[in-house]
Amino acid sequence: MIGGRRPLPGRKLADRRVRVERPHTPYFRYTGPDQLVAKQAASMPLTPAGRFVFRVRSLIFGRPLASAEEIGERLPKKKALAIFSSDAISSSAYATKEILRVLIVAGAAGALAYSIGVSVAIALLLTIVSFSYRQVCRAYPGGGGAYIVARQNLAPIFGLIAASALLIDYVMTVAVSTASAIQQIQSILPAAYDFRIEIAFVSISLITIGNLRGLRESGNIFAVPTYMFIFLALMIVIGGVARIVMGTAHALPPQPDAVPLGATEQLSIFLLLKAFAGGSVALTGVEAIANGVPAFKKPEATNAANTMITMAVVLGVIFIGITVVAHAFAIVPSVDNSGGPTVVALVAGTVFGQSPLFYLFQIATALILFLAANTSFNAFPRLAAILAEDGYMPRQFSFRGDRLAYSWGIVLLAAIAFGLLVLFNGDTHALIPLYSVGVFVCFTLSQSGMVKHWFVTREPGWWWRASVNAFGGVLTFVVLLVVTSVKFQNGAYLVIILIPILVAVMLFIQRQYSSSQRQLAIRPEFVALPPHREERVVIPIPGLTRAVIQAVNVGRSISTDLRAVYISEDPDEAAKMRKVWERQVPGVPLVVVESPYRALVGPLLAYLDVLDRAWPPNKPEPITFIVIPEYVARHWWERILYNQSAKRLRSILIGRPHTVVVSAPYRREEESRFDPAVPEGADEP
Amino acid sequence: MTAVPELHQPPFRRAVLAVNGGPSDARIVRVACQAARAAKAELVAVHVVEIDWSLPLEADVASRSEDAQQVLDAVEGIAETEHQGVETVLLQARDVGAALVDEASERGADMLIMGLPYRKRFGGDFAIGRTVPYVFSNAPCAVWVIREPISERPQG
Repeated sequence: MIGGRRPLPGRKLADRRVRVERPHTPYFRYTGPDQLVAKQAASMPLTPAGRFVFRVRSLIFGRPLASAEEIGERLPKKKALAIFSSDAISSSAYATKEILRVLIVAGAAGALAYSIGVSVAIALLLTIVSFSYRQVCRAYPGGGGAYIVARQNLAPIFGLIAASALLIDYVMTVAVSTASAIQQIQSILPAAYDFRIEIAFVSISLITIGNLRGLRESGNIFAVPTYMFIFLALMIVIGGVARIVMGTAHALPPQPDAVPLGATEQLSIFLLLKAFAGGSVALTGVEAIANGVPAFKKPEATNAANTMITMAVVLGVIFIGITVVAHAFAIVPSVDNSGGPTVVALVAGTVFGQSPLFYLFQIATALILFLAANTSFNAFPRLAAILAEDGYMPRQFSFRGDRLAYSWGIVLLAAIAFGLLVLFNGDTHALIPLYSVGVFVCFTLSQSGMVKHWFVTREPGWWWRASVNAFGGVLTFVVLLVVTSVKFQNGAYLVIILIPILVAVMLFIQRQYSSSQRQLAIRPEFVALPPHREERVVIPIPGLTRAVIQAVNVGRSISTDLRAVYISEDPDEAAKMRKVWERQVPGVPLVVVESPYRALVGPLLAYLDVLDRAWPPNKPEPITFIVIPEYVARHWWERILYNQSAKRLRSILIGRPHTVVVSAPYRREEESRFDPAVPEGADEP
Repeated sequence: MTAVPELHQPPFRRAVLAVNGGPSDARIVRVACQAARAAKAELVAVHVVEIDWSLPLEADVASRSEDAQQVLDAVEGIAETEHQGVETVLLQARDVGAALVDEASERGADMLIMGLPYRKRFGGDFAIGRTVPYVFSNAPCAVWVIREPISERPQG
């Protein structure tokens, strides 16, 4: 890049100096010979409208960040617990309700007698799953999402099944957590029920904007509501159990929106399994720690494994505790879509009454649920990016936006989650059947993959490690069958249909990418030499204009074998055109194609085919350059008025063999170069 | 790199920073950036390409040399990591010292910062050369020379 030079005087005559301009500095920085790094200014829009949009974007999403500005923060266990466990721990806010609302159909006695047993069974399952995932943390210190574990150890197809289930799971986490957070708000502010979709839109939009701004999993943002929820929930459990022990716990009268008591169904194994399947939603989000092992401080695997156990203990205690207190006070869930208080709010009320602590707990519950949605906003785009890098999703998903966030994944997740909330009218219970199936598919595949991993690696203690994972895998598979069968009619079938569809789409995309990669690949021994084929130029012209002259001059710079093609439906007009052309553009043959059927593109394509056929068969086919004159509109609205034929022509010609389509743009700023006193054809481009 | 203790930071509003692409550049740029940031001062990094008398002064030398551009671009990069803006100036002159003094004078700089590299060969010595003494004698402003640390075991 050659800059100008400006001589400057010195104090003495011999001290003159020359300041060398550095034209590249605003846009680039040299880092080596012929190696430049673009600065932010190089990506700045050039038009006023573009600059305005850029300013608005910067205001909403923040200034663009360079790749080097990425913060690789390592998390201590306390912060990591808050970040990775908000999804799992927050599920204790709605899991008890899911058990009670199944058992209630068997009448008060059924609901009250068996809810604790079901919750203990789920807590046992949680213990086994957590121990199994501890193994994943240790075996995959680089992050062992179900996709990676299943793909590496089982087969790519199982990886894709796990990835599909995970993608569904992440979408469901956003939808369910948001819906549940809104329910917590309406427990203290019933009027919020009427605006649940609007609140969901605002909250998802805020989380989306936050993530597009590159909101990192800042420990402090997560720590406050998560620990506030844990602390207050434990207070509720301790306070409730103390009242039970002291004998002051008594059945509360059902609230106005409560599900009517009275047996409509007999207590059966199926009903208990259904309650178990409903409550197993408490296990959602357990795998988040195993996915995020690299984010922990050293020793990553040990810290992650220990955090996993802490999370399981906290979740188990809160979940069983809330169920026990709900049982002791004979709490009955509200009717779906009634806008009544949630089970967890009613449980909180038994201990806190209507004190400020009650409201604080509801706020903390709503916040941890909103943050649980945010964990998906971290995980979904990352998984989509990994899938895109592996060729299973469109490549756009692996591109990071201005703020180093995977913008495509974030926007897609927000759109689908909000769509689901609208479709299911913001009802948690309607969404949950879709939730658990994907979760248990991931658990089963991940655990099965781990069994294979231990058998292959045969690390010390591999036998008992494989046993733990095998037990977890079998158990989660059984639960998967139970959850699928009992929730099938309530919407689980949608997931069963969706997973194979997603897998098929991903395989299709991968096949397309592999095929194009094969077609574009260059053999290692190939050396690119200058082209040996002849070149010819065809310029389709709509008349004789400055844009056409520009195109002719571009064509002249490509090859001496050039001709203009004028397609006309009027022979008289064509004759006039030829006369003018020969006078004003000498040396460039004009081919007139009369088109009595008024078609433009067809006759031009036919003419090109004829040219090809006329080429001597003993010579290699020439490269045909089609130079299309185009008028560059200055305003956005002008674009509608001009170049429509050129666009159509370009889109049709772009796939033609041995053909290169060249746009020769004419800008109005170039008017001065066409001095009316000088014949137009004499101008240089 | 440790920050310069505040008491030892010379106050300035605009400093000309002489860089030559040598090993001491990174050090002096960092020190200058820290001092400039503390004083909210402007920094102008100047790289002078000396033109032999056999060539005209306006000869197309520096503009064609990516090396010369790279020296200043590296300075920009270091300043960016220090969160300090820096203006970069590329000069061609017969004498580096005179060009630095004239540039500092024209820009109204109140500080001229230079590096003093340490030669490890032949038992170790400072390469004072002609530029530093010239700037000491002729600069209209304060001159801050940042000496490279002496390694404990000089390599022969």
